[in-house]
Amino acid sequence: MDINFSKEDLAFRDELREWLANDYPKHVKDKMDKGEHLTRQDMVDYHKALSAKGWMGYNWPVEYGGTGWSATQLYLFNKEFGMAGCPPLLAFGVSMVAPVIWTFGNEEQKKRFLPDILDFNTWWCQGYSEPGSGSDLASLKTKAVKDGDHYVVNGSKTWTTLAQNADWIFLLVRTDSTGKKQEGISFLLVDMKTPGIEVKPIITIDGDHEVNSVFFTDVKVPVENLVGEEGKGWTYAKFLLAHERFGIAAVGASMRALNELKEVVAELNNSDLDKKVAEMEIAISALEMTELRLLSDLENGGHPGAESSILKIKGTEIQQGLTELFVEAAGEYALMYPGAGGYGSNDKPSGPEHAAVSLEKFLNFRKTSIYGGSNEIQKNIISKFVLGV
Amino acid sequence: MNLSYTEEQVMLREQIQKFCETEYDFYKREEVVKSEDDFDANAWSLFAEQGWLSMPFSEESGGFGFGPVELSILFEEFGKSLVIEPYLSNVVLAGSVLDKSNFEGKVELIENICSGSMHVSLAYAEAAHSYEYLKPDTNVSDNKLNGTKTLVLNGNNASKVIVSCVRNGELSLVLVDTTADGVSFNTFRTIDEKTCAEFTFENVSIQDSDVIASGDEAQNLLTETINLATLCISAEAVGCMVSCYHKTVQYTKEREQFDQPISNFQVLQHRMVDMFIDSELAKSLLFKAMLEVDADSEDKFRHVSALKAHVGKFGKLSAQNAVQLHGGMGVSEEMMIGHYLKKMVAIDAMFGNADYHLKSFSK
Repeated sequence: MDINFSKEDLAFRDELREWLANDYPKHVKDKMDKGEHLTRQDMVDYHKALSAKGWMGYNWPVEYGGTGWSATQLYLFNKEFGMAGCPPLLAFGVSMVAPVIWTFGNEEQKKRFLPDILDFNTWWCQGYSEPGSGSDLASLKTKAVKDGDHYVVNGSKTWTTLAQNADWIFLLVRTDSTGKKQEGISFLLVDMKTPGIEVKPIITIDGDHEVNSVFFTDVKVPVENLVGEEGKGWTYAKFLLAHERFGIAAVGASMRALNELKEVVAELNNSDLDKKVAEMEIAISALEMTELRLLSDLENGGHPGAESSILKIKGTEIQQGLTELFVEAAGEYALMYPGAGGYGSNDKPSGPEHAAVSLEKFLNFRKTSIYGGSNEIQKNIISKFVLGV
Repeated sequence: MNLSYTEEQVMLREQIQKFCETEYDFYKREEVVKSEDDFDANAWSLFAEQGWLSMPFSEESGGFGFGPVELSILFEEFGKSLVIEPYLSNVVLAGSVLDKSNFEGKVELIENICSGSMHVSLAYAEAAHSYEYLKPDTNVSDNKLNGTKTLVLNGNNASKVIVSCVRNGELSLVLVDTTADGVSFNTFRTIDEKTCAEFTFENVSIQDSDVIASGDEAQNLLTETINLATLCISAEAVGCMVSCYHKTVQYTKEREQFDQPISNFQVLQHRMVDMFIDSELAKSLLFKAMLEVDADSEDKFRHVSALKAHVGKFGKLSAQNAVQLHGGMGVSEEMMIGHYLKKMVAIDAMFGNADYHLKSFSK
């Protein structure tokens, strides 16, 4: 047993650190360090900087222009970027729709979509959930009816993250409602500029505009935008969700938050809080080692399956727990309505700096145990596939 | 990085598992517990024959020189079967102190421990100094040992006891023959079906040749040994946690109520998933701790504390959940499951409970 990374992996880590020190766009770093909100342009700049380095396809095979990194390299990438406080990478294009396109799409689709994802010329969003279909995704009702050389789409999607910024959406639609609900689902790629698409903001309890409702009224989608076969969309959807798991433990980001929290708590002389922080640090260490154990298993040719749901459940509990401790550390300043501009703005209210962003983060992070397959769904998965009940 | 066990380590685990499955079922254990004996003498001889009693000793002392990884494997498996034989007291506590000391007579004593022919205990605890083992009241002056030691594990079976005391103003570890003049003890049962003794020493004669270590050396020996023992019983707790969820899953699949196996109920499923997750996290902390101890790193005490704090809290929780999901059977003495709860309470109580280790960790 050897817990140390190889010389090659350590050299790779140094390369990551060098980029973070020299090429991580300054204006993005400054805002992130202060806990401020990023603009669309900030996000584009950040992703384009990664593209320029050739790291945008961090989990892509080399043949499509990706890095071809090993599982260990991916782990280090995620950890180092998390510890540096970088914005989470937008998964929708690069790690959600792209693997579906290169696995199930045709040559024409690969040529048309993959290079733009790699260069971050297109911003993708995800058309999965519907008002009546959350955890029971296969019950979705948005309909696509074939009419000559195009489909006509009617229905609505919800919780669509950053749809207001997106150029394209990948869409699960119902093309057949006669058989089992999992059959009859198809996977469409849709240009957001197509007439009949309307995006309406959903403001979340942290005051942010991150998610949206997207309405489709007689939207014409060319048949060449169908990925794979009609009616096989559910297979592709599940394949995509497996790719979404990457980095879900967020160990690096949680370690950074813990270090910040420790600095804040050190000033407070509050032994109750000290104890909670120690418990949190142990929980993070346990999560990190769990991820490393799965990683080692993977590198040794194993196929860790449902065990990775532990990473989702514990990773999100820890992220949320950290925001809760920041709120506790804010003490009476947790009372403050954020700044004159309100929630979602970068204004600062009265009170210490750490208190200013604590409430927004606490409220925003409630989403983590809901998205990506809610934590209850993850427990169902473990129950079925690991415990066998 | 590679976190898989070596082939030899896997074989060791299989060997211990085989023993536990074929020679050590719960009902056999119960027979021993209800008899006059404190443990199964045949099992103890078998431990010696298999070489398990020699495992962690250095090769110079006649052992195999195995490290904390192998010890953790052994204790994890012992935890699953709730093994009561006095391995911890003889091999880990007394044995490690002797093995790592410069004591002249150590090789002979270790040989006797390895062959299973002699029991030696470490007397580290005193009633007035809970969990603080470095400043005992027991002392040697004018070559006379005086004081009282509590919770001496397996002390009633020991021919020799290693006693922590103050001598010449510094911490010392001295070897005492339990039949010597001035030594008396009472025997007590622990809730995990083992025994411990409370020793009183009244003017027991101590010669220079009885001193195993003094000053910094004694302090290091004691601190290192208690840390290793803490790792071992935490590994035992990990084994218990794994068994708790395994046995509970199995039971709920067989138990039918409302015309179906109760494992169909989601509220029970999610509780069992929590038990599984906590056991996996405990395993992860065990990996971290045993590798740090193996590497003799500066942080090894911290990581053992992290592990002990986790198993202290979540081990008990797992066992409580196991009892709850077994319903009335869970609180029946004749079922094994309730005994895991007692074991988890015992483990939390030893060498610093969850709160104690949480504090040590945050220092």
